[in-house]
Amino acid sequence: MTASDPCFLSVAQAAALIAAKKLSPVELVQAYLSRIERLDGTLHAYVRVLHDEALAAARSAEAEIEAGRYRGPLHGIPIGLKDIYDTAAVATEGGSKLCLGRVPAADATTTRLLKQAGATLLGKLTTWEFAIGGTAFDTPFPPARNPWNPERDPAGSSSGSGAAVAAGLCAMAMGSDTGGSIRWPAAWCGLAGLKPTYGRVSRAGIMPLSFSLDHSGPLTWTVEDAAIVLQAIAGHDPRDPASADRPVPDYRAALASSDLKGVRLGVARSMFEGDCPASGAMGRAFDAAVEMLRGLGATIAEIELPPLALYNATGSLISRSEGFAIHQKTLRERPQDYGALARDRLTIGAYVRASDMVQAMRRRMMLVEATDAAMVGFDAILLPTCPDPAPMLGELAPYFDNRRPMYMRPFNLTGQPALSLCNGFDDTGLPLSLQIVGRHFDESTVLRIGHAYERATPWRERRPQL
Amino acid sequence: MSIEDRFAIETELLGLELLPGQEATLRAAYAVLREAIAVVGADYPFEAEPAHVFVPATDVERR
Repeated sequence: MTASDPCFLSVAQAAALIAAKKLSPVELVQAYLSRIERLDGTLHAYVRVLHDEALAAARSAEAEIEAGRYRGPLHGIPIGLKDIYDTAAVATEGGSKLCLGRVPAADATTTRLLKQAGATLLGKLTTWEFAIGGTAFDTPFPPARNPWNPERDPAGSSSGSGAAVAAGLCAMAMGSDTGGSIRWPAAWCGLAGLKPTYGRVSRAGIMPLSFSLDHSGPLTWTVEDAAIVLQAIAGHDPRDPASADRPVPDYRAALASSDLKGVRLGVARSMFEGDCPASGAMGRAFDAAVEMLRGLGATIAEIELPPLALYNATGSLISRSEGFAIHQKTLRERPQDYGALARDRLTIGAYVRASDMVQAMRRRMMLVEATDAAMVGFDAILLPTCPDPAPMLGELAPYFDNRRPMYMRPFNLTGQPALSLCNGFDDTGLPLSLQIVGRHFDESTVLRIGHAYERATPWRERRPQL
Repeated sequence: MSIEDRFAIETELLGLELLPGQEATLRAAYAVLREAIAVVGADYPFEAEPAHVFVPATDVERR
């Protein structure tokens, strides 16, 4: 494959060609199916490829467009869904033996919205078991591998989503993010990954892990593509009790400005230099990104946030409690059908006492308020997404201890929108990452900053060599 | 009391039936959990309110 192949077009590029009738949705799907057949035996990004259904949907899209009924920039675009997103009449198994053969009767709200926008579903993507089970070798599905180096971990839990988009096995994919599971694979696979504000995108029909921390969002090759997808999926949904009933702005319009004049950015240096020092390559890439953003017109200053360990410990107690509550019955009845990592990570929630949980919720309130107070005078926070690039597959610590924490979970606790994007590569060619965190419901500013950075840098020109 | 003893007592109180080999791995997870509980702490002002479902304070009405 060369960079001119259709599988390497961004969503925006493919959409422009489809709208102009210069690219056939059927030929585009065929190109992706061929590439999946050639590469997915190594990468394991897909758990199910919907070959016939995708071709039928593409033919339908092509006919509609030929008839002058173009729906918009996702019409005819081939996508993948993490296999915790319900798909009517198509198995959704959550990466677990417990759900083998589970066929939902209805689509998740996001699935439905993407279909309504005209997207073509190529298949279901590998996930950590129930979005928590880690890189596991004892579940029915092999772990996804990192396209930049298949010996490396793509991160999770949206592991297949990250691997598929980076490898050009779909144009965009949906993930979920409870403690970083969109941004983390985006970071290690060199993508844009957007965790919208809590309440911005419906979670109805997506397998839950932690009710008050779960978010739904896209993994895409570019920030512009993330804006396109968010436009299609954002909005109130009565099926999701946490869904916010707020107006949805024009996200792509926010990308029009080519500079960042007037944008005030806060660098959370204490987190990645003091609390958990980022690796040398990550730190250098971050500093270079800050200078680039300054050059684009942004004002840069340091922002003081509470200690990373406080956010992470608080998030851990809440997610463990909520996860155990969801799985309590099956953990007692069928513990042997979980993979070992998921079983332990969920069972441990039983040991969180009610008072521990209430203290964690009190701490959460304090952290939300402290973060809000720190953001006075800033439009967004900057920090790396992770301290290190991707390790070897199977090298991740099993119990998320605090000795090498990531920088993502604070913003699951606060619910702020957070975008991870590629800001370079280390000496071995592995992607590095930058995280941009905005004010609640201000995805537009986050996307604007990310898009301006992306346009000013060469990182989107490099693809994995497969 | 050692963390091993504490883990054993709590496991019994919870009535958890662990699978063969699970005790050692779960005990390691328990040690990490106890660290998190200690970091979160319990020394809060009397009136400190928990987050309600969570919801951002700035520009959204509280649930």
